[in-house]
Amino acid sequence: MGDPASSRTGPIGSDRAVRREHGLPVAVELSRRRLLGGSLALGSLGVLSACSAPTAFEVDADAPPVQGGTLRVGLSGGSSADSIDAHITVNSGDSARAINLYEPLVERDDEYKIAYRLAESMEPNDDGSVWTLYLRENLKFSDGSDLTADDVVFTFERVTDPEDPKTNASNLATFDRAVAVDDRTVEVHLTSPNAVLDDALAQYSMGVVPRDYDPENPVGAGPFKLKSFTAGVSTVLERNPHYWDTAPHLDQVELLNFNDTDALINALLSSQVDCVGQIPVALVEVLESDERMAVLNSATGMWLPFTMRVDVKPFDDVRVRRAFRLAVDREQMIDQVLSGHGRPGNDMFSPYDPSYPRDFPQRDQDVAEAKRLLSEAGYPDGLTVELVTAPIQSGVVEAAQVFAQQAKDVGITVEIRRVDTTTFFGDQYLQWDFAQSFWYTRNFLPQARNCATAEAPFNETAWTDQEFTDLLDTAQAELDETRRNDLIRKAQQRLYDDGGYIIWGFANQVDAYQRYVLGLRENSTGLPLSGYTFRRVWLGEVS
Amino acid sequence: MSTPDLDPEVVATPEPGAVETPPKESATRSRPLPARVWAQTQGKVGVVLTAAVVLVALAGPLLAPWLTGYSPTEFADRPFQSTGVFGTDNLGRSVGARFLAGGLLLLAYSVLATALGLVVGCTIGMIGGYAGGRTDSVIMRLNDIVLAFPQLVLALLAIVVLGPHGWVLVTVIGLTHAPRIARVARAATLGVVSEDYIRAAEMYAVPRTRILAREVLPNITGPLSVEAGLRLTYSIGAIASLSFLGLGMQPPAADWGLMINENRIALSVQPWGVILPVLAIAVLTIGTNLLADAVARATESTTVEAS
Repeated sequence: MGDPASSRTGPIGSDRAVRREHGLPVAVELSRRRLLGGSLALGSLGVLSACSAPTAFEVDADAPPVQGGTLRVGLSGGSSADSIDAHITVNSGDSARAINLYEPLVERDDEYKIAYRLAESMEPNDDGSVWTLYLRENLKFSDGSDLTADDVVFTFERVTDPEDPKTNASNLATFDRAVAVDDRTVEVHLTSPNAVLDDALAQYSMGVVPRDYDPENPVGAGPFKLKSFTAGVSTVLERNPHYWDTAPHLDQVELLNFNDTDALINALLSSQVDCVGQIPVALVEVLESDERMAVLNSATGMWLPFTMRVDVKPFDDVRVRRAFRLAVDREQMIDQVLSGHGRPGNDMFSPYDPSYPRDFPQRDQDVAEAKRLLSEAGYPDGLTVELVTAPIQSGVVEAAQVFAQQAKDVGITVEIRRVDTTTFFGDQYLQWDFAQSFWYTRNFLPQARNCATAEAPFNETAWTDQEFTDLLDTAQAELDETRRNDLIRKAQQRLYDDGGYIIWGFANQVDAYQRYVLGLRENSTGLPLSGYTFRRVWLGEVS
Repeated sequence: MSTPDLDPEVVATPEPGAVETPPKESATRSRPLPARVWAQTQGKVGVVLTAAVVLVALAGPLLAPWLTGYSPTEFADRPFQSTGVFGTDNLGRSVGARFLAGGLLLLAYSVLATALGLVVGCTIGMIGGYAGGRTDSVIMRLNDIVLAFPQLVLALLAIVVLGPHGWVLVTVIGLTHAPRIARVARAATLGVVSEDYIRAAEMYAVPRTRILAREVLPNITGPLSVEAGLRLTYSIGAIASLSFLGLGMQPPAADWGLMINENRIALSVQPWGVILPVLAIAVLTIGTNLLADAVARATESTTVEAS
């Protein structure tokens, strides 16, 4: 990928819509209905804790997978704009549908490694400007027709259509053309070398579709096919008999949309659904204490940084930025904001990238050094800053409050200005002097292209550095992984020393499910419910 | 309940054993308002409830660190644990400390908003009632337009536009009270404008502002104090609601409305974070409401009904 991404997409494949969708409810939307829903949910939680487990049951998790059954999945954030298009995924439910209806060439596995799906292998030429993809044998779409190289070429063309670019087009900015060499071989020609094209293909919004693809009547090669779909309400999927890999255990998957988290939790507790995606971390304990429930707690690369704009006072002084970074007690952040469900960060993103610099000295709160830096920068008596926060993701407003408390020790007075999500992403977005953000798991190069170069679409800190950008360009064209990682490391050093992000930690993705749901595994992508890979899930025998 | 305070004979009768008989006041003069309020069971309950919550709200911020061992913004443990008397809140701060510290601003803003509403509402209502005619019609129709908007909707609009600052909160709640108070003030003014003392003052060419301030206002305090009590109750409700919606007090300030919102998610794990502020707001609004009722009965006539 040579050109910077033109929209915020990546492993999670979505834009600000997802950010909103994953966030806490916008304050204004707390209507009476919400309150009522909330009190109902809370009421049922009360009932739950009162009679702790009247319906306890045993599930043999070691027994071989059971075939059949319907998995009912509760999700929130859907709307009438929900989509079943393979390449336009906006909210979390769209992702779930795309992942289960369609199959990509490669995907990110639970450990965030590249795993081959429809592609058997892929390799670049000597300079990385042409990649050759080899498909598996006997691939079929869910309607029984053959999946060939032509369909892959069509998929590339559809995603990168200059008239109507789809979600993943930004990652394929250097795409020139794709050529079907034979039935199982595709050559992808790029406008400039890209050593990490596999990352751009390992997106769930990159599922292969047939040449006569009609989004109204979707045909894909995923583990399930569509049975019925009502936007904002429900989606029913049934097993795809022509799936290339091990057939899914489940007969059907029902995705049900709930309007808010309270209703979602309520549905799980009343067994209206078998599993729910993303629960508030504060509820982990209460759900774990219920004998019927289990919690899936996945470490991810999701980060909730503070963003200091490096081109405005006082953050234009690197000493101030360092002082702010040293004002944060990262362990305390994890404890107070995430109830301990996360890992501390070191002002560096992409913890799953092989190049992640684990040997950089871990920054932690250093009051004396921070005060010294502030005083050197001309603030011997401390300073007052305004921190703009919004419930864009659970934990963000909380993090602002904890930071305000910690910064007091250093002499920084943080005035919190809480706005609603719409205002936060409104005209002032990317202009806030000191604000917050959140990003899902990504590797270093695509992440930096999205947020740390002059062309980056979401450069929240306004930090640009020619040396850094040159290093990114060179690294992207470097086919040798060791040499590439060396280059990335130099870039990381620039970001670590000079950047405007305070990356205090990586939050876990926490989902809940009934204990008879088996096959869900911890997944690092940040997508709920084991990355929505329902093909691995089965309903255990209850005794 | 008997009503000895309003019975002229009882008032006039000296206590047994008293040596001197106090100078006899007018036999029809009733006791001062506070005494009449206190004489009712409702009044007593109202005073006690209101005083209890006001006391907590006023003294709480000072006592919080001393009683609970934590300041309202200090982290005591992880979120929603049972550390300390009432456990921790959504950020691991002491619920006890935040509860004690969370009432002052709510109370202060409510009183200020009510006061503002009273001043503006009284002025408008008295002018309308006293001037009469076209002035009255114009003022009261404008008043009706404002009345047509639900109070919280206007407040939400103002806060979204101007930002959630304390003065915006007070101003907008106060001003949305004003039309309602103006109606009461106007009605009460109409009741007194035809009295002889007003005519007398007019005959002496006393300036109109002076008539309003010296002659009208003291004679409509009864209905106004009832209205003030009711409006205080509504102010408390409105400001707590706005805080709950995230548009009132801003984090990390400790505030009851905000506490309910922050902690409601874990009601089953750690209920104190919600129960304490809910109870406080409930007791306060019930208290002020009972008080307003008692004031109404004490002022509406010389007969206080048994209750």
